[in-house]
Amino acid sequence: MIKTHNLSKSFQGRQVVRGLSFEAPDGAITGLLGANGAGKTTTLRMICGVLQADSGSVAVDGASDARERQQRVGALLDHIGLYSRLTVRENMAYFGRLRGMSTEILQERIEHLIGVLGLDAIADRRTAGFSQGERMKTALGRALLHSPTNVVLDEPTNGLDIPTIRSLRDLLRRLRDAGTCVVFSSHVLDEVHALCDRVAVVAEGKIVAQGSPQELCTRAGTASLEDAFIELTCPAEVY
Amino acid sequence: MNQILTIARKEIADGLRDSRSVVASVAYALMGPVVVGLVSMTVHGKTGSEAVLTGMMAIFTLVSAFVGGMNVAMDTVAGERERKSLLPLLMNAVPRTSIVLGKWLAVSFFAIGGLAINVLGFLLVFKNAGMSVTASSAELFSGVFGLFTLPFLAAAIQLCISTISRGVKEAQTYLSLVTFVPMGMGMFLVFCPAARRAWCSFMPVVGQQLQLEALMSRGRVSFLEPVVLGYLTLAVSVVVLLLAANRLKQDEIIYGN
Repeated sequence: MIKTHNLSKSFQGRQVVRGLSFEAPDGAITGLLGANGAGKTTTLRMICGVLQADSGSVAVDGASDARERQQRVGALLDHIGLYSRLTVRENMAYFGRLRGMSTEILQERIEHLIGVLGLDAIADRRTAGFSQGERMKTALGRALLHSPTNVVLDEPTNGLDIPTIRSLRDLLRRLRDAGTCVVFSSHVLDEVHALCDRVAVVAEGKIVAQGSPQELCTRAGTASLEDAFIELTCPAEVY
Repeated sequence: MNQILTIARKEIADGLRDSRSVVASVAYALMGPVVVGLVSMTVHGKTGSEAVLTGMMAIFTLVSAFVGGMNVAMDTVAGERERKSLLPLLMNAVPRTSIVLGKWLAVSFFAIGGLAINVLGFLLVFKNAGMSVTASSAELFSGVFGLFTLPFLAAAIQLCISTISRGVKEAQTYLSLVTFVPMGMGMFLVFCPAARRAWCSFMPVVGQQLQLEALMSRGRVSFLEPVVLGYLTLAVSVVVLLLAANRLKQDEIIYGN
């Protein structure tokens, strides 16, 4: 479970996140929905312990210390840089060793993820020249290597083709069904609607509404999630 | 400690696969012995030629310690930022000081390699020129210790600069300038020997230059001076590494500007 309370972050005098609080339960896919620049990525980076919040708190499975959070989270943020001179297996193994995994478990997990993600054909190829889909799958494998109980993804379908998006969605559903807490950010409403059990709408660095897609529509008095999103994030511009 | 070694091993393996960079580093390391070997044939038997040759050797040797790990230093932090692989690395539960130490060990490995190739090259030149070293084993050991701490300092400085740079090109610009430090200091001491003071023997880079010259011109070097110099060089390296680790903790390293 991921819980943030009153999270704030400024960067170079500009407040990017302002008192953001939300909760993502286990066994559910929670979507962080917001326009570009709403503060989604910064929030996810704080959850993953890469950035330190100016104020407020983040707890992952009850742990608030950044290192403990990092042990419990598998993340695929907007930077999915791979090591181009290393193979898929080597890229994964490097991160597994950094996480202190034993050789046997590491090998077992690498083989499992290569199978699940359909990377068999390219597992021993250096990642230089990989397509966006292949890069994303390798990075996802790297993030899931330590069997995290919480998975954080930042706009994971950007630049992917339809089959890859489908297989990613299937994977996220399987993770959810296995009891994993999945949080992903997006500004693509169809994707959020198709995948999320819960949605937290972010605007100007704070949560303006959260609940199931249906609850958000009811609250905004609209028929579609798109209308609800517009109503909740910028009502003045609409009316 | 395991995490530090994991990072160092990965960076070394990664660096060795960059064959162009390895070839360039070896070429730089051998450039000194080749140039000095050619010059020694030209000036053979002329008065004062030995002083110039030993001065040149010392400068090339110091520069090789800075050049050996330069490409890896560029690639390992500035390159990671540019390729957007630094953020995933920072998401692991690894203290940033450990990340810096692991990368430093890897850069030092290449810097030591560059220096070792250079020294071996010069030993061949020595042999061909009929020059010999009369220093005792203890003196030689302390001399080698003092000299081989320099790659660690070079690696620390280069890594620190790499953390400040936003990309490989920027890092390359700064790191190329850094190689002029040993070159400039060395040339200054060769052409202006009157500027030498006693404390210069304990100043990193300059101290190594003086000891190399002493070893090559007189065939001897004091036992204590290189040891003290070596420890001082390592101490400065630690301070520079702390600066690099501190830089890695700042938000700017992630936001990229």
